Amino acid sequence: MIGYVPGSTVAHRLDPRAKIAVQVAFAAAAFAYTTPRGLAVLSVLALAVARLASLSLAGVVRSFRVILPFLVAAPLVATIELSPPAIDPGAAVYPALSSYRVLLVVVVSAAYVRTTTVRESRAAIQRTVPGRPGVFLGVGVSLVFRFLPVLRREITAVREASAARLGTERPLVDRIERVAVAGATRTLGRADRLSTALSARCFAWNPTLPRLTLTRIDAPALALAGALLAAALFRAV
Amino acid sequence: MATNTESVDLVGDEAATNLARAALFAALVGAFAYVSFPNPLSAGVPITLQVLGVFLAGIMLGPVWGSLSMVLYLAAGAVGAPVFSGGTAGISYLIASPTLGFLWSYPFAAGVIGLVAHRGTSLSEVDAVPTPVLVGAMVAGTAIIYGFGTVGFAVIQYDPWYASLWQAFLVSSLAFVPVEAVKIAAAVGIVKNDAIAAA
Repeated sequence: MIGYVPGSTVAHRLDPRAKIAVQVAFAAAAFAYTTPRGLAVLSVLALAVARLASLSLAGVVRSFRVILPFLVAAPLVATIELSPPAIDPGAAVYPALSSYRVLLVVVVSAAYVRTTTVRESRAAIQRTVPGRPGVFLGVGVSLVFRFLPVLRREITAVREASAARLGTERPLVDRIERVAVAGATRTLGRADRLSTALSARCFAWNPTLPRLTLTRIDAPALALAGALLAAALFRAV
Repeated sequence: MATNTESVDLVGDEAATNLARAALFAALVGAFAYVSFPNPLSAGVPITLQVLGVFLAGIMLGPVWGSLSMVLYLAAGAVGAPVFSGGTAGISYLIASPTLGFLWSYPFAAGVIGLVAHRGTSLSEVDAVPTPVLVGAMVAGTAIIYGFGTVGFAVIQYDPWYASLWQAFLVSSLAFVPVEAVKIAAAVGIVKNDAIAAA
């Protein structure tokens, strides 16, 4: 699983907003240049980004296994022609390039995930989206990070307790219901306790955020994002 | 630290409750992504409960907070919370992955399910909603999820996308649609459950 790992790489020191700009621009360039040559250039760039973030490519590829079946099946299915029934291998080229493109964008975004704390991401969200929507997103995102492991642990405990009582022998709908009822009631209970606690601690629309400043080391990242976007736009027009 | 000198603008109790519920439901959908059951129809495709979480968000939080909850889910996944299927995360899953249509459909699906189940934007008692209405709401939600999912898959993988919609449906959705019936049945049971009614 890809997650934040503390470190002092160049990518850790960049402003989160610059890193988000690079990811989006990289994806735009990958969509504009889905050709063997374009993707070869972007592969080198993705490897460089992974290197700067000291990202383990093996870890990224492992996390990738969830969507891998889709990426393999898409080009294969594209070769099938219905009328008249035939196999056209040439039709697989673009879908195969698209599948490879996904891997490159996933590598670049994994570099962000590995090098950015929740706190920095929250600050980036709140400084980009103004006003109350920004506060809602920022607070909500940090609560999701905080409560995901708690809820996962509770659901695992419920499933183990159920299995110990031969709950695995019950019909499927019944098993799903049990897990979801336990999950949902605990979630609602926690939400109510949490909102009481938030109100008791002066939960405000205008909290103090960590300072984010674009520094000299962000300049190359922003320049890269600009160049990638310009290249993508140049191709589009 | 930056210093704010204006006075504190407190969040009201109701907004705080709604925000906490939306955020925790987003986390619950993320936790459901890790729960898998063996599929009786095809052994290779496990059943995960993410979509059930989307159904429940729409039904229990209503159209407005249900879809805002799903927006939080997407935002948290984009900045690195491992909430997407298989514990993946990253903005790439929202802008470049062939499964992006499924993720983007969640706020819309939760909104439509909430609108149909509550017959409007204000919340009504969920255990009083007739079963056919609940089922209809979730069928509409399922149609939105797989509609967005199929189009998204075609747009990312094929060129031109509209000529390959059937291939996209075949690869991305066909194996998953039948088990949605199981989740709809479970969701009806959950909503009618006494423990949920008391919560």
